[in-house]
Amino acid sequence: MTEEKLTFMPVIGIEIHIQLKTNSKIFCSCSTDCESAAPNTNICPVCMGLPGALPFLNRQVVQQGMLAGMALNGTLRSSTLFFRKSYFYPDLPKGFQTSQCDLPIMENGWIEVQDSEGNPKKIRIHHLHLEEDVGRLQHSTVDGRLEGADTSFVDYNRSGLALAEIVSEPDVASAREAVEFVTNLRRRVRYSGASDVDLEKGMMRFDANVSLKCSDGRRGDKVEVKNMNSFRALERAIDYEIARQTKILSQGESVLQETRHWNDARGVTTGSRTKEFYRKFIVEPDLPPLVVDSEWEARVRAMLPEMPEEKMARYIRDLALSEDAAAILTDSREVAEYFEACVAAGGAPVRTANWVLTDVLRCVNEGCSISAFPVSPKVLADLVTRIEEERFSTTQARAVFDHIVETGSSLAEAVKLCGVTEGGFTGSDLAEKVRGVLEANPDVLEEILSGKDTKGKKVKFLQGLVMKETRGSAKMPDVEVAVALALEVAKGNSGGSSGS
Amino acid sequence: MQLYELTVQETVQGVRSKKFSASEVFEASMAQAVACESRLSALITLTVEKGREQACAIDAKIARGEDPGPLAGVPVVLKDNICTRGVRTTAASTVLGHWSPPYDATVWGLLQDAGALLLGKGNMDEFAMGNTCGSSSFGYTANPWDLTRVPGGSSGGSAAATAAGYAPFALGTDTGGSIRQPASFCGIHGMKPTYGAVSRYGVIAYGSSLDQVGPFARTIEDLALVMQVLARHDFRDSTSVAGKGLDFSLAPAALKGKRVALVKDFEGFSLAGPIQEAKKRVLAVLKEEGAEIVEVELPTVARYAVACYYAIALSEASTNLGRYDGVRLGYTTGSSTDVREMFEEVRSQGFGFEVKSRIIAGTCLTDSSRSEEYYIAATKVRALIAREFEQAFKKADFILQPVTPELPAKIGDAHEDAIKGYESDLYTLPVNLAGLPGLTFYVGHSENGLPVGLQLLGPRWSDAELLSAGLVLEGYLGKPRIATGGVSE
Repeated sequence: MTEEKLTFMPVIGIEIHIQLKTNSKIFCSCSTDCESAAPNTNICPVCMGLPGALPFLNRQVVQQGMLAGMALNGTLRSSTLFFRKSYFYPDLPKGFQTSQCDLPIMENGWIEVQDSEGNPKKIRIHHLHLEEDVGRLQHSTVDGRLEGADTSFVDYNRSGLALAEIVSEPDVASAREAVEFVTNLRRRVRYSGASDVDLEKGMMRFDANVSLKCSDGRRGDKVEVKNMNSFRALERAIDYEIARQTKILSQGESVLQETRHWNDARGVTTGSRTKEFYRKFIVEPDLPPLVVDSEWEARVRAMLPEMPEEKMARYIRDLALSEDAAAILTDSREVAEYFEACVAAGGAPVRTANWVLTDVLRCVNEGCSISAFPVSPKVLADLVTRIEEERFSTTQARAVFDHIVETGSSLAEAVKLCGVTEGGFTGSDLAEKVRGVLEANPDVLEEILSGKDTKGKKVKFLQGLVMKETRGSAKMPDVEVAVALALEVAKGNSGGSSGS
Repeated sequence: MQLYELTVQETVQGVRSKKFSASEVFEASMAQAVACESRLSALITLTVEKGREQACAIDAKIARGEDPGPLAGVPVVLKDNICTRGVRTTAASTVLGHWSPPYDATVWGLLQDAGALLLGKGNMDEFAMGNTCGSSSFGYTANPWDLTRVPGGSSGGSAAATAAGYAPFALGTDTGGSIRQPASFCGIHGMKPTYGAVSRYGVIAYGSSLDQVGPFARTIEDLALVMQVLARHDFRDSTSVAGKGLDFSLAPAALKGKRVALVKDFEGFSLAGPIQEAKKRVLAVLKEEGAEIVEVELPTVARYAVACYYAIALSEASTNLGRYDGVRLGYTTGSSTDVREMFEEVRSQGFGFEVKSRIIAGTCLTDSSRSEEYYIAATKVRALIAREFEQAFKKADFILQPVTPELPAKIGDAHEDAIKGYESDLYTLPVNLAGLPGLTFYVGHSENGLPVGLQLLGPRWSDAELLSAGLVLEGYLGKPRIATGGVSE
C-alpha cells in the first residue's frame, strides 16, 4: 500500500481598513487630528452618539473613497445607502456602526502581483465601502498602571473618523503574495491621495480569511484572523495560520470555523470564545441615499494622478530609464513628482534620474522631506544641465548641491560660496590662476627652468596646484596649455634678464 | 381675559406693542400651570428660571427698540424628547437619568430666536412609545376635560398643557399619531408636518424615518405662525428638505371647489357615535363651503399599515435605543463589575416594560433569520402604501378621516390588550409611513363633555394648504376653548 503525501493549498482573502485623509470626520465637522489632541477633545453630540444627534455625510469622505476606489481599478456605484450594524461595545457610542456594507461605493477592483513563478496575477477586490471608526479603549488601574487593569477609559476622538474597508476575493495563495498585494495596494492608495496609509499611525489595518484546500479533496473551514497592523504581522499571521491548519488537516481532523486574534508579541493566533449575535443590518434612516452622478465621478477621476505602474512603464518607454531606476523613482508619488518636475525644467532624464536616486534619496533617507526639498527641481535641472554642457564638473555640481541642502541657500549664493566659476576657467582667468601658482612656488619654477625636471613631474605638480586653485572648474587640457604657455613666458623673461 | 388665555397671535401683538410685557405673560402662564399641575401632571420639568430669563431678555430687546421676533414673549411647552441645553431632557425614561443636554435641538433654537419662552417640558410616553402617556416613568398625565381619562399620547403632556392654557402652543413629535391623537383627545388643533419639513436634529429618536416635530395650538392661525418659524431646512438633519420655502400665509376660501375624499376601505370600521356625528357635521360644512365630496380607495393601507408600521418603527427603535448603555450618560447602577453586566443592568432597570417589549420585538424583526419576512417585507409594503396615497391624491385634494375609533379611554382601562392598542392607531400611522402632512382639527364636544377632532390629510408639502382648509373649517366649527378640568374649584 502506497501512501501519497498530502499537499495543502492556501486560499486567502484579505480585508483592509484604511483611514481616509480628510479634515473632518465622516458624519460631523470634528477635526480628524488625533495625534496632538487630548482625549475626548475632538468630539461633539454627533460622534458621541448623544440622544437626538443626527449624522450628516462629509462629501470629502465620499470623494476620497471614490479616489481610492478608482486607484484600485474598481467601478463606482452611482447610488448607495448606509446601514446600521448593531452591537454593544463601550467604544461604539450609538450602539451601531454606520457603514455602507451591503451597497458599497466601489466594486470589482483588482491589484496585480507576481505569482510564485514570477508571472503577473490579478488579485480581485470584491468591494470598497465607507464606514465610521469607533473610539479607543484604555484599560488602567486607578493609579495609572496598565497591569491588572480595573478601570477602563474611552477616548472618542477617533469615533467617526472615515474608514474605507477593502475586501479582496480569496485569490491570494501565500503570505508573500498577501504582502505584495497590500504593498501594491497601499502604494496606489497613497498615490491617489485618498489616505496617507501610515502604518505606524494605525491608518492601515489587516484581517485575513485563511483556509486550506487539501490534495485529497477536503476543504478546511475558513478562519478569520484579526488584528494585524503591519506587513510583517500580516505575513507572520498567515504563515502561522497555514502551519496550524496544515497540522490539523494532516492529522485528519477538521478546522473549526472561527475568528482568531493575532497576538504579535507571542507570534500566535488565538481563538475567541465569544459568539457574535448576528443581526441583519437595517437601512440608516437618518441618511438619504448617496448619489454619485457621472459629473461628480468625472470630476474626481480628473483628480486621480497617473498610477505608479503606468508611470514606471512610461519612464522606461519614453525616458529610457532602466527598470530598476523607474521602479524606485515611482515607489513614492512625491519622489516621482519631484523627478518629473526636474525633467520638465529641462533636466536630462537619465542624468536627472541618477541624481534623484543617489543624491536626493540619500538626503530623503536621512530625514529630509521630499515635498519641501531644499534643492528645487528647477535648481537640480540647472545643475544637471551645466554638467551636460560641461560647464560644471560632477564634483562641482555635487559641492553646490550639498551646500544648498545644508544651508538652504540659493543657487547663485551656493556657486559663489563654493568658489566654483560658472562656465569654468579658461583664457585670461586661467592664466591669472597659473601666474599666481608660479609666483607662489619660485623654487619649483627655478628647478624647471634650470632643466632639472627631466621627467616632467614638477610640471604635473604645478598643473595639479592650478586645478586645485580652480576647484575643479578648469579642464585638464586647458590647464596643460596654460601652464606650458606660462613656463615659456617665464623662460623668456629669465633668459632676457640673465643676458642683460 | 387673563394673559394666559391669549392666543400666540394676541400675545405677540400685545408684547410687541408694549400692551403688556413678556415677563407678565410668562408669570400668568406660570401661575396657570402651577394651579393645574397637581391635577394634570402635564409637565416633567417646569422651567421657571429659564423662562423668566428669556422673558427679561425679550423685554430688554423691546426696550432697546430691537425686533424681538415673530413669537416674542410666547410661552411654550416642549415635549421632553426635544433637547434643551442645560435643561434636563428625559424622554420620560429612567435610563436618561438627570441628563442635561449640552446642545439645543434645532427646533428649540428656532423658537428661541423667534422670541419664545420655555415654560416646561411635557410629559410623554417613554421614548414616545405609546398613545396614552401611560408608559411615562414620571406617571400619568390626566385629560384636562375629564381627569379620569387619558390625554392621549405620546405627546400627551404637550397637548394637555396647551388645552389647559399653560401656554398658547406646544411642540410634540408624531411617529404614528403622537401629535394628532392627543390633540383630538384634548380638544385642540395639532399638526404633523410633511416628513422633511421640520428638523429632527436634537429630537430623541424613536422611529427615525417616521418621526416628525409639529405644533399644538388653540387656533389654526397660531399653528401657521409656529410652522412658519419651524419649517426650514437644517443641514444637521440630512432628511430635512432644502429649497421648499413653505409659505404659511393662509388663503381664504381654501375649500371652494376642492375635492375632499372619504376612504372607502375604512367605511365599514366601527366608529364611536360622537365621532360619526362630528364627521357628519364636517361633511355638511364642506358641502356648504362648496367642496366636492369624493371617495378614494386605500386597500393596502387598510389591511397592512398597522403591521407594516410596527415592523419599521420597532426595527428602527431597537437600533436607536442601543446607545443607552450607561457608558456616556444617564442611569447607572454602580454595582456591576464588568461591562456586559453593566449593559444588562442599565438596560433592564433603566427602560420601562413597553420600551423593553418594543426593543426586543424590533431586535427579533431584524434578526438575520426573520429580517426578510418582516423588516425587508415591511419596507416594500411601505413603498406600496406611499404609492397608494399618491394615486389617491390624484383624485382628491384632501382626505377626511377619523383620528381614532374611540374617544379617550379611562386611565388604567386603556389598552390592556397591547395589539388592540396598536390597532387604535390605524387612522394616524399610515400618514407617517407615507411622509404626509396631517392636521387634527377640533370639531366640538360630545354630549358627555369629551372633545372630538377629525383629521385632514394632504399630499406631501401641502402643509400650508391643509392649514388654510383648517382655517375655513374653524370658521364654521369654532375655536377650541381652554379646558377647565385642571383647575381646582
